[in-house]
Amino acid sequence: MLENSIKSVFNSVWASEKTSPPPELSADTVLLNTGLDSLGFAIFVSSLEDELGYDPFTISQDAYYPQTFAEFVAFYEKFRPAA
Amino acid sequence: MILSQSIAPGATVEGLAPEDLRAVAGSVPAARVALMVRDPLILIRGLCALDGRVGAILLLSHALPAETAVALAEQAGCSRILTDADIARLPSGPASAPEVETEWLMTTSGTTGMPKIVPHTLASLARSVRPHPDAVWGLIYDPTRFAGLQVVLQALIGGGRLVVAQGSPAQQVAALAGCTHLSATPTWWRRVLMLPERPQGLRQITLGGEIADQPTLSALAAAFPDARLTHIYASTEAGVGFSVKDGREGFPADYLTGDIRIEGGVLWLHGIDSGDRVERDGDRVRFLGRENGMMNIGGVKVYPEAVESVLLSVPDVVMAKVSAKRSPVTGALVMAEVKLAEGADPDAARARIQTASRAALVREAVPAIIRFVEEFHVNAAGKIVRS
Repeated sequence: MLENSIKSVFNSVWASEKTSPPPELSADTVLLNTGLDSLGFAIFVSSLEDELGYDPFTISQDAYYPQTFAEFVAFYEKFRPAA
Repeated sequence: MILSQSIAPGATVEGLAPEDLRAVAGSVPAARVALMVRDPLILIRGLCALDGRVGAILLLSHALPAETAVALAEQAGCSRILTDADIARLPSGPASAPEVETEWLMTTSGTTGMPKIVPHTLASLARSVRPHPDAVWGLIYDPTRFAGLQVVLQALIGGGRLVVAQGSPAQQVAALAGCTHLSATPTWWRRVLMLPERPQGLRQITLGGEIADQPTLSALAAAFPDARLTHIYASTEAGVGFSVKDGREGFPADYLTGDIRIEGGVLWLHGIDSGDRVERDGDRVRFLGRENGMMNIGGVKVYPEAVESVLLSVPDVVMAKVSAKRSPVTGALVMAEVKLAEGADPDAARARIQTASRAALVREAVPAIIRFVEEFHVNAAGKIVRS
């Protein structure tokens, strides 16, 4: 399931960047208020591209930046390549 | 032109008294001084007090390693490095104190070797200042860097109120309530776009320090429909280049006259090679990256060679090539391709590479992506071919 894959990549990026345990991601968690800075977030998006094989930020023609975890998952869902 | 005498009537800095901007130093600690100050407010006081009183002010980022700061001060002929406490202790003097024209020495940023010292004068730095008595300026940049100093001088000389915003982006956004003019890197703006809290009442949004891309410009235009959107092209060496106000990435080709020209695919500004590769596409000129391979990671300049030399110091690393991978968040990320010695354990090597990189490099320069490869393309001289 996409949401779980994203959570697991988030946790592994968090573990490599931080010493504290990762935060619980719920639908309305604002990702950039979790303590991950821009560089951490960039690494997260790049790791997701390695894991999932696509980057919706690059594919998307709209200038859209998701804020909450739910919006982020929906953004990846929307641009998921057809299997 | 002397800063303390050029403060616009009504210009204020939140956290400083009006007399702090107009007081000059009664005596000076040395003929040429370096400032390495952590608190932007104290730095502003120091600049106002010392300009016109010393032969040179060398502006050093407080983030510089101490040995680099000492070497730069020596090179600039500055016999003292003043810190926050030194500025706070500067005695104030009579306004009729003798005046000299102070050299303002800026440094280039980057992670390889020694930053370069670039001489300016207050007049050359303030060239693009315009009167804006009603503006509230937000300072997000490091004021010892070119872009940050522009904001400070604009507020002091052009008028208005200056607000220094520190802390996390969410804390900065809170501090910037009521701010009308805000200048920051595209990476900072993208971060704000991903937060629910937005600065309210912005009339002017300026992007600089990195190449502004279309998605960021379009998203800002949609999020702040009442604000003018400008991206600036500038460099420490050449000063302010030009600004683009049409909300599109790159710049209009009709800017290419006289002072701004393309030579051999590289942009020249006021007769100085900018080192930025550009491409003309019809009526637009677009940026392609740096000629010397320098990467810009969220506004921090990183040279591949500096990272490669750290990688090559790690046991079992035989060859290393560092390049930029595009990122929709920070513009680019550092990617390292590494060839390991026969039989080396990749997991152990990865951990050693990460430890060595974190110890030797600023965070932005630490490879975010490490790939192990079997072979590199090498040229006749045995050097790795950079694509």
